[in-house]
Amino acid sequence: MARRIYYLVIAMAVAMLATGAWLALVWAPPDREMGDVQRIMYAHVPSVWMALLAVTLNFGCSIAYLIRSNWKADALAEAAAEVGVLFGAVGVTLGSIWGRPTWGVWWTWDPRLTSAAIMLVSYAGYLALRRFVEDPERRATWSSVAAIIAFVDIPIIWFSVKWWRSLHQVQSSPSTVDPKMTLVLRWNAIAFLLVMIVFIWSRYRIALHQRERELAPPEALAAEPQSRTPAAGALR
Amino acid sequence: MTGHLITLVLAQAGRAVGSGRIVGGWEYVWAAYAITWTALGLYALSLWLRRPGADSKELE
Repeated sequence: MARRIYYLVIAMAVAMLATGAWLALVWAPPDREMGDVQRIMYAHVPSVWMALLAVTLNFGCSIAYLIRSNWKADALAEAAAEVGVLFGAVGVTLGSIWGRPTWGVWWTWDPRLTSAAIMLVSYAGYLALRRFVEDPERRATWSSVAAIIAFVDIPIIWFSVKWWRSLHQVQSSPSTVDPKMTLVLRWNAIAFLLVMIVFIWSRYRIALHQRERELAPPEALAAEPQSRTPAAGALR
Repeated sequence: MTGHLITLVLAQAGRAVGSGRIVGGWEYVWAAYAITWTALGLYALSLWLRRPGADSKELE
């Protein structure tokens, strides 16, 4: 049943992503000032939203691990961070491409861009930390603390355009843009959300499997290729 | 006279910076979408290659 839902979500994500691309590239009207270049928004904004959602999930799971020492929370934190870095990197890259024709530069140290770059470096560091620490308990504890510190940057990213008078525009309101643009942005946001759910779920299963192997007693590990039974008892 | 001069200078400046509207730029749009689809596709492939059981199938 769970497997059917998983494949159904994949099918929906692919269909919505393909439709969303057509809506963004063909159906949506061009912007009055930016023309067709504004169409980058329909991939840039959902990417950044998904990055922020994923790292927020990572933050919640990290707190959950520190309180309850739950391996599933640790595995979900790892999955969310990796997917967050993926969407964050896509979002920042697309922002840079959009900046070239509109601002005249690929990059500028604007507060929004700088705080987004700090997010990428912080979570890349978080993933590197997880690679370097071999002991699962130490890794989970240290990376949970690192995740909580890294999350301090997330509200700064969101509010930076309001706190500082910067080059990056403030969040738009649906009341000030063409309704078609709002619809296309929402459609693509849902498509990206489905993709993110599939990615986090798939990566969570990989992380959980790795944790099972790490925590399994040696005899269970030796028997694994024949029986392929997960040492689920090892997970709290 | 001064007012006319100011209007003339502003008109010149307006021509110098253009109309303020971006024309074309589809190459940026295609590059952005190509990067998005490639990144998502490659990550999906990496998840498939790392899926649980993929390594034990190699052992069998």
